[in-house]
Amino acid sequence: MQDYHEFIDEVLVDEKAIETRVAELGAQISRAYAGQELLIVCLLRGGLTFTADLTRHLTIPHTLDCMSLSSYGVGHYASSGNVRVNLDLMTNIEGLNVLLVEDIVDSGRTLAHVLHMLKTREPKSLQVCVLLDKKYRREVPVDVDYVGFDIPDKYVFGYGIDIDEHYRHLRFIASADMKKYKKTP
Amino acid sequence: MQDYKDFLDEILIDEQTLQTRIKELAEEINRDYNGKDLLLICILRGGIVFLVDLMRHITVPHQLDFMAVSSYGAGARQSGGSVRLSLDLKTDIRSKDVLLVEDIVDSGNTIAYVLEFLQTRQPRSLKVCTLLDKKERRETSIPIHYRGFSIPNKFVFGYGLDLDEYYRNLPFIAVVDLKKYQPPS
Repeated sequence: MQDYHEFIDEVLVDEKAIETRVAELGAQISRAYAGQELLIVCLLRGGLTFTADLTRHLTIPHTLDCMSLSSYGVGHYASSGNVRVNLDLMTNIEGLNVLLVEDIVDSGRTLAHVLHMLKTREPKSLQVCVLLDKKYRREVPVDVDYVGFDIPDKYVFGYGIDIDEHYRHLRFIASADMKKYKKTP
Repeated sequence: MQDYKDFLDEILIDEQTLQTRIKELAEEINRDYNGKDLLLICILRGGIVFLVDLMRHITVPHQLDFMAVSSYGAGARQSGGSVRLSLDLKTDIRSKDVLLVEDIVDSGNTIAYVLEFLQTRQPRSLKVCTLLDKKERRETSIPIHYRGFSIPNKFVFGYGLDLDEYYRNLPFIAVVDLKKYQPPS
């Protein structure tokens, strides 16, 4: 595996800034749902680190469930937007307050699709929390209720976000210079 | 939801002790897997918090994948029956160095099944890392290569482990006083 120092463009969000912002989001969500209960839905795999850290800052009663999704079609860009559910929720969300936690939203296609699908199950409420919002890439309008950071249209990695499945463990979010990046054979 | 302080028997492992031990485990893993092709497998959902914190200290190149399993029949925890795979790995593990990351091993039945199942895919190596080991409960013998803590046969919660799906976000491992605990309605 290539050392990330060889292809890093810049650190977009450092560890301290992430910690501070995640704590703020946790407090904000705790206030918004005060007196209520909440189901946190983690979208695997990118959302995992963010979910684990965010829930540590929640002071309200909450449960956790996970979904795993993938797109039909070849490659990220060829996607029709239709979503295949690899792992569905264990929880019946009818009548529950649901908060979907994602690492990053760009085109919004996957998110829009999931929201639509979950709405048919008639939750009491359905909101979205993303750590990173790549607004410039949006193709489909989606309501994102809690945003960690707005980021430019760059290829990012770290803090749960991978490049070819690597570099998720890094404590910061960085942009990659893809001209310098070499895929691990 | 009941405040955990109402039924807390004792804090078994505090936050500082957990974090120190997790760092030690990661350092051990870093030494052992230097130059190898490490794949971390997290069994949903209890192992998430441990995995995220462990992974942050793992400096050798590694990838991450998930499995979700459930038991056939009622009472997942008590069941000694066979296991249903609700989410399989995305990664082909043939010739990979696989490390299964678990929050807790008690009867060992589920892990034994998962290990046997993964072994058929011929990974180069297959090891187990568990945060907690409740040895007294063991029904099926399994090899544990990395162990955070051996704990007594008590009902524990926190740090990813739930009580009726709640309290996963507490930063410590605690023991429940079951006489005082009221399950959510």
